Amino acid sequence: MAGGATSAAGAAPRDLRWSRYRFPESLYGYGAWIAVLAFLAFSVDYLDIPLARIPDMFHRMVVVIASRYYPPDVEYILDRDYLDYVVETIQMAYLGALFGLLMSVPLGWFSAFNMTPSRRFVYPVARLLTMGFRAVHEMIWAILFVSILGFGMLPGVLALTFFCAGFAGKLFAEEIEAIDMGPVEAMRATGANLFQVMVFGVFPQVRVAFTGIGIYTWDVAFRAATVVGFVGAGGMGWYLKRAVLQIEGERVAAIILSIVVLVLISEVVSAFARDRVMKMK
Amino acid sequence: MTDARSGAGTAVTSTADRFLAERRRRRGGSLAFAAILIAAVAWSVDVTIVEDTDWERMGSLAKVLEAAGEFVGVDWGLLPDLAEPALETFMIACLGTLLGVLVCIPVTWFGALNITPFKPVTYPLARLMMTLSRSIHEIVWALFFVAVVGLGAMAGIFALAMRSVGFIAKMSAEAIEDIDPGPVEAIRAVGGNGFQVLLYAILPQVLPQILGVIVFEWEINIRRSAVLGLVGAGGLGLMFFRQMNTFNFPGVTTVLIAIFGIILIGEVVSHFARKAVI
Repeated sequence: MAGGATSAAGAAPRDLRWSRYRFPESLYGYGAWIAVLAFLAFSVDYLDIPLARIPDMFHRMVVVIASRYYPPDVEYILDRDYLDYVVETIQMAYLGALFGLLMSVPLGWFSAFNMTPSRRFVYPVARLLTMGFRAVHEMIWAILFVSILGFGMLPGVLALTFFCAGFAGKLFAEEIEAIDMGPVEAMRATGANLFQVMVFGVFPQVRVAFTGIGIYTWDVAFRAATVVGFVGAGGMGWYLKRAVLQIEGERVAAIILSIVVLVLISEVVSAFARDRVMKMK
Repeated sequence: MTDARSGAGTAVTSTADRFLAERRRRRGGSLAFAAILIAAVAWSVDVTIVEDTDWERMGSLAKVLEAAGEFVGVDWGLLPDLAEPALETFMIACLGTLLGVLVCIPVTWFGALNITPFKPVTYPLARLMMTLSRSIHEIVWALFFVAVVGLGAMAGIFALAMRSVGFIAKMSAEAIEDIDPGPVEAIRAVGGNGFQVLLYAILPQVLPQILGVIVFEWEINIRRSAVLGLVGAGGLGLMFFRQMNTFNFPGVTTVLIAIFGIILIGEVVSHFARKAVI
């Protein structure tokens, strides 16, 4: 037995051990990892990160929380005015999400490679628009709209609208690109126009996914809505900014607490809605 | 024979009736839902937009367009000054994601139902951590860390890390909960301890998925790190606010183009990284 094995090894002097990686590919993989690590190390150096202060930081964090933020000023967030602002925030969030979703349906359609009306003109434009809307952070949208339209909730709603349009538009486009083309071809073969193909060939396939994405968009929009007020775009962010500027740590803690509670509630609601949607399938 | 047939017939009609009734009921329900939704939207449009906006101050459409028109144009002179902040923003995003991933490891471990070490305590703890991390906006995290570690890139890195923990940990925990239990049992059966089970049975199954999530979060972090300048974390955000505060509106557009540029780079890199991973 052993003799047979050695003779076989003698006949084939090559190393026959199995390896997950073939020679050049293994180099690329490790090379990429090393390059990433080197870049990260370089960035620590470039940004002057005081690594020595990190162990000390946890202690400081506890001290800061205990001394400045600890007993959250709960009365402050149960105030009537504050609750009004909370309602405003919720309204702003769902208006923004709704308008954004309305905008993102055509955007998603035009920027889906398989269904776009014209691959040469409409597709790149829609793609660029979706990317541009998404690339600009919601706070930056809010700042831009505040500087154009003045303070209030309208710039907040618009900022959320653009942000949600980009966010949902990309997801919609990906969803449309993944559909089964059979029904679409069948619709085309019967002479349906672009719009009819969309309504009867594509929407039935992506309806459930779109609803799920819509709920997800609402979640994201609500989180963004709690802070766009920071730059004057309405909602409870304005309270947060005021408390921060006045160095009222306990109020800041209370406001953050209220944000967490609201997000938790909204998450429970959207989990319930998502369950219902899944059952619809 | 006839009895059986008529019995089957009534069964069919009653099923069809039930189906139609169900459909009618559903349609009624969704109509009512749509009506409520439209009423709510109309009401909140009235309250938030029509009443809250200071239409007088905003003036006519022409004035609004004029205000928006100030942003048209590019301040090319600013472009060389943007290279360094852009690099900083990019680095903050990378380091923030890295730190977030490191923090994620224990959170994921505690938060996946099938591997959590002590369910009554560690599981709720991890879930709480995930929700906290996701529900607090990066601006708020950054404010907190600026108070703790002072102004500078470090506060931004910590803020991004804390903000990304929730999403990465949640997706990873879900991936781990969905694994095939076969390999786990196999490693246990040959006497592997908990750590070996994690390393040889669980990790290989979920690694591609988790790496995909990390790349996705990294892409989002680039976008986020561009606004952390608002609370003093440096980078392109700081340039943005400087241009905004000096009313150099074409400069604002230039900074936006720079942000767009690094996000484009991020998207290209993540496209290839995701291809390599999967």
